[in-house]
Amino acid sequence: MTMLGKAEYGVTTFFTRSHPNDKCGANGLPLTPNSVKVLGRFQGLKHLKHPQICKYLDIVKDKHERMVIVCEHYRNCLSSKSSTFSSREKLTEIAYGVLKGLAYLNSIGITHRNLSKDNILFDAEGQVKLAEYGLYYMTGYGAEVAFPIGMPQYLAPEVLAEAPITVDEHSDVEPEVLNPSGPKVDVWSLGMILLEMMCAQDLWTGLTMPQIFHKIFAFLKTDQSPLQSIAKDNSLTETLKTLTPDVVEFLNKCLTVSVKHRPSPSELLKDDIFTELRLKEVPYRNGFQLFSTESRCKDLELPVYGENGTIMQDFDFDHLSLRNMEEVYYLWRLAGGDLEALLRKEGLVITKPPITLLPSFCTNEGDVFGQRRDRAELLDSIVITASQEQLRNRLSEVDEKAYYPLLEDEQSSMTSSLPLSPSSSDLTNTASLPLVIKEKDVEYQFHRIILYERLLKAYPYKRAHIWKEARVDIPPLVRAPVWAALLEVEGDIEGLYNSIDKDTITPTDRQIEVDIPRCHQYHELLSSPTAHVKFKRVLKAWVVSHPEYVYWQGLDSLCAPFLALNFTNEALAYACLTAFIPKYLHKIFLKDNSQVIQEYLAVFSHLIAFHDPELGNHLDGIGFIPDLYAIPWFLTMYAHVFPLHKIVHLWDTLLLGNSSFPLCIGVAILQQFRDRLLSFGFNECILLFSDMPEIDIQRCVQDSIKIFCSTPKSATYRQHARPPKKAQKEESRPNLSYYSRDYNDQPSTDLSMEPIPIEELKREKVPRISAEDLIELGELTGPAHSKSPTKRKQNSKPMLLVVDVRTDSDWLKQHHVTTCKSSYKPEWFAGVQKSW
Amino acid sequence: MPATVKKEFEFEFRSKEHKSRLTIPITIPLSQTSIKEFVGRLITAHDLPCYVEKDLQTKLHAFVTKESNSLFDEHAEEVIARVRKDPKVVDDLVQKWSQAYTQEVKTYAKPEEASQEQQFSEVYHSLIHSPALDTLLNLEHTYSLTVEDLILQRDKDLEHLEERQQKEMEQALKEVGKTYTDDQISQLAQRHLESVQLIENKWNSELNNLKDIQKHEFRDWIIKVHEDTQIPAKSPSYIGRVRAMSNTLPEAEEEERSSATTRLEESFTVHLGAQMKTTHNLRLLCTDVLDLCRHKTHTVGGLVIPQPQRLQTAMSLYSNNLCGLILMVDNRLNSYTGIKRDFAKVCEQSTDFHFPSLDQQFSNVDKEMAKSNALRAQKTTTEDGDKISIKSSSSSSSGDNQLDKGNRIQVGDFYITKHSNLSEVHSVFHLVIDDSIRSIDISSRHPVILSIRNIIKLCFRSDITTLTIPLLLSHEMSEEMTIQWCQRRAELMFKCVKGFMMEMVTYGGQNSRTIQFLVPCGLSEEMFANISNLLTTIFRLSNPVVVRSSQASNAGR
Repeated sequence: MTMLGKAEYGVTTFFTRSHPNDKCGANGLPLTPNSVKVLGRFQGLKHLKHPQICKYLDIVKDKHERMVIVCEHYRNCLSSKSSTFSSREKLTEIAYGVLKGLAYLNSIGITHRNLSKDNILFDAEGQVKLAEYGLYYMTGYGAEVAFPIGMPQYLAPEVLAEAPITVDEHSDVEPEVLNPSGPKVDVWSLGMILLEMMCAQDLWTGLTMPQIFHKIFAFLKTDQSPLQSIAKDNSLTETLKTLTPDVVEFLNKCLTVSVKHRPSPSELLKDDIFTELRLKEVPYRNGFQLFSTESRCKDLELPVYGENGTIMQDFDFDHLSLRNMEEVYYLWRLAGGDLEALLRKEGLVITKPPITLLPSFCTNEGDVFGQRRDRAELLDSIVITASQEQLRNRLSEVDEKAYYPLLEDEQSSMTSSLPLSPSSSDLTNTASLPLVIKEKDVEYQFHRIILYERLLKAYPYKRAHIWKEARVDIPPLVRAPVWAALLEVEGDIEGLYNSIDKDTITPTDRQIEVDIPRCHQYHELLSSPTAHVKFKRVLKAWVVSHPEYVYWQGLDSLCAPFLALNFTNEALAYACLTAFIPKYLHKIFLKDNSQVIQEYLAVFSHLIAFHDPELGNHLDGIGFIPDLYAIPWFLTMYAHVFPLHKIVHLWDTLLLGNSSFPLCIGVAILQQFRDRLLSFGFNECILLFSDMPEIDIQRCVQDSIKIFCSTPKSATYRQHARPPKKAQKEESRPNLSYYSRDYNDQPSTDLSMEPIPIEELKREKVPRISAEDLIELGELTGPAHSKSPTKRKQNSKPMLLVVDVRTDSDWLKQHHVTTCKSSYKPEWFAGVQKSW
Repeated sequence: MPATVKKEFEFEFRSKEHKSRLTIPITIPLSQTSIKEFVGRLITAHDLPCYVEKDLQTKLHAFVTKESNSLFDEHAEEVIARVRKDPKVVDDLVQKWSQAYTQEVKTYAKPEEASQEQQFSEVYHSLIHSPALDTLLNLEHTYSLTVEDLILQRDKDLEHLEERQQKEMEQALKEVGKTYTDDQISQLAQRHLESVQLIENKWNSELNNLKDIQKHEFRDWIIKVHEDTQIPAKSPSYIGRVRAMSNTLPEAEEEERSSATTRLEESFTVHLGAQMKTTHNLRLLCTDVLDLCRHKTHTVGGLVIPQPQRLQTAMSLYSNNLCGLILMVDNRLNSYTGIKRDFAKVCEQSTDFHFPSLDQQFSNVDKEMAKSNALRAQKTTTEDGDKISIKSSSSSSSGDNQLDKGNRIQVGDFYITKHSNLSEVHSVFHLVIDDSIRSIDISSRHPVILSIRNIIKLCFRSDITTLTIPLLLSHEMSEEMTIQWCQRRAELMFKCVKGFMMEMVTYGGQNSRTIQFLVPCGLSEEMFANISNLLTTIFRLSNPVVVRSSQASNAGR
């Protein structure tokens, strides 16, 4: 976790190069826009953590291939206060900081290539913070943007020796950088910057850009050291002499023309000039991480107590600055932080009216002629500082205690989990508002994410509490770890994932490769090439490690929500997927899954008939059986049917339910189309579901909960459901209600359901229920015995009406007092009808 | 230089007395995460004991770092060596790098002068969204009436001349062989033609003159009014200026008071997309294509008032909501015949205060076309047999034979003109067609259809949010357009447009668009209904709003 501290948010923007003419890739599909490629690659940068680099927070794709990037930012940079840095000690410290940052970046395969005085920043403590280090990496080494990366006067000779990337507007070739710059180019740039700082003047100020380039190329031809020639050019020879020999030596090392002899950042760190600094250095700790195998208390330091055993009092404390930078950014967006408006205010999005930019001629092959270039598309490397004022105002009324909610105070946390702050006494009211509103409410989200953050730190100990809170809602920011907690993911997930072979070619590869470019591709993140690689790896890992199952189409859709949430943590995405499948799709991915699916569908049609006999009869009458439309629903747990932003809301609830909950969702969906389905014939029904119409997901969730609660447990009995787990988990997850547990998890008795052959099951129109349920729901045991399944209102009617359909003689022989006799023919009244 | 190399990695470890050695080829570069995975794979593949895992990982990591660094070094040295060997490339490289910076980075680029055009467009846009709007429109309207008047005079004059010449010619023809010889007849014809041209030129120069003056005046006026509004103290003069202009509306003449013809049209809201839905509007429209361009006189209380559409068009001219129209034309870039001539006449009706005249725009197009022809010629010579894209292979059949004839346009090409003086349109896509689209079974890969895709794409990228497409790819009914023909064409077009729109969502984001499908006037009402039905089956309409009865809400309880 990176604390906000005194950091601000810096916003930068650039345009990616648009494909001038639409070309097709090797697979025949249209090329991925460069903006999407950048978007995908950026995600990895978000998780870089090091004291010497600014944290990347967000990337947004705006209209017309404009990218907006949000990054940790400080107003102090090397160029802003150059005069104060002339002391040798300070400069070595800066050099050391920069090199540490660079070495860290190199260790994960990133080259800065963009080092300049403007992006070496200093935080409040004066520590070096590198910014804009990801531009070269995220743009495919500059191939996906039209502008060159880096300050011209700092570019290393080997960078200039290779021609810049240029693209002919009408050519068919997409540029690709095969040999990106290595870590040592940054050492050159650093040398140049340090030299400028030492001499306290800019180099080559009087020269034009081509002249500067010629100067740099001249280094290649002579044996004279670049440092000397630069000094001569800028009449700095005298100044150089005043520097100590070790500094000159260091500069010479940086400004070595031969790449082989120039040291890399990590080698330079070992230079003698830094000996003192190395000794002073405090080792960097990477903090707490969920689902890791490292001991979490390894680096734990208890707070320092004052002399009298009390914590140092500090009344003016800025609690927000102690929060996680991402959390604060999330809240900042909610509090009206509008990136586009910010850019517009700073005059960065002045574009020409589109009509003046129209081309004048276009060939039948799509080549466009006479289109004018909008100047706004040029790179403007200005960084805009976003004000946090608005957010701080919104949160100014929040009580200090709200930043540190107590979890162990059982009484208060169990009754109302939301602390009441003076300004928001109606916060508990917010909890009952629709989800869409809750997700936009700054204060509500503030309390929720703080609570969840604490709970997740205490996972798995606090699993029961997380479970309880998840029933209220899950804030989008913490959805990924909360889902993992709900799925009871534990252990060394990364080690496990790493040990799986995802590279060796398997027979299912082809199918996976065909499916991925068709899976949720409207989603910008999932349509990026980075996502495709990750997709394939996670899917392959699952297929390889589950030899008893096969890859069925639909597994890709199932994987999509997890991957989208855990984009930078494949291992967690994989762990969630592996936990999800046995819970909801037990045996569905068997090579021969017909028995399992047939049973599932039969139970589903029973459930339709049970809850909506009229609709059930109609669908049955026109032959519109679940086999025709519902298989993708269940096979993907609706992940194939809905867009991702709806799936997450659906699954928020689904993950709390048991394996028969998906059936209820299906019934709820049908109910939303009830009027139309009833008026439709077979063909229209097929047409309706072939392209699923828009659905109100919130209502669907509510309806399915209602349906779930009004279904006798044994009605959803399936013999292919997952067998009961060992009882050891009982305490870890609370048995919150009668419904949260699977029927299959209950101990079976003589009165339980028994499997019946699939043919018979399909023949029946309505569900059977077990004798247990009959006794329980019909209150046949009398009030003393019943372990009340739900909170029943007093004097409520019994939930069951038993109709005896046997022949009269049987009836007379023996019957239960509460049953009624039916004179109808049995086939008219075959089964249990809802009594309300 | 290859981007990757294979290197042998050696690893030794001991188990009791045994010393084992492992040699594995490794592709450099290998990313960080893959190092861990690689170790995992090695351990399972070679059945290594778990105590070597950590050691293996550090060694492999060191190995990979070392090797990738030397790969970087080698490459850099190679590039430098290349420059050293051939110093001539330096100039070229310097030029390329400087160009890259000056053309793509704002700090190094030449500052752009605020052109008059741009200034004018900004001023106009702000004025049209101010109280001066009314006056502005009236002014434009008054100007257009003057132009119309002149055109009317011109047409009358020409008509008169033609009548006279016809009489003269008839007279002469009767006397052929007697008073007149054949030669004399042809001389007469020649003379007639010359005088027609003379008169036409005279009128046209007068017309152009008037338009130039109007344009000049209009622009001056706009700038002045804008300057006035900028200085609050001078507001009276601005109001005075505005007022002075307001009272110049002419009385409507008797014949202009007849109401405009009504259009047959139907609107739909549709959802596109399998999982993620985007909402768009479709409109089925039965009218003449030029109806969308022509300003119709509109009278209120005896005064000729500008049409409401005009207001909308003017207000959105410099906005991000443009309207486009596809006009089907033949492969000659002029305005002499058919629909092109009619369209030119509509454009001529009033002065375009913002964009060059149609003829000037055409000459621009011609210049660009020359560039494209050069490129095409270059492409055909270099194109290898195996590198033919789908598009070119499908269009080659109709295009190849024209290549050598200079600046010729091929089927499926389109040129774009911009207009500020048309009724409901800002930009017109002139799409080149030929007789092949009269056939009943054109495929979805026909160049014209593919061009519609390009047009839709351009619309998505250039903020043209309303596009009018001739649904049958024809502006008038003809005899081969039977019921079956229309049905099939409509189906093909609906399906293709639907596909194109779904494809383009990746370019234009989630904004909703309006597509107007235009069918020719002569279409029967029955056919119109058929096509409307077809549309609803091909596109998914948005969910109907169903009024829930009390019974239904009870059932849900």
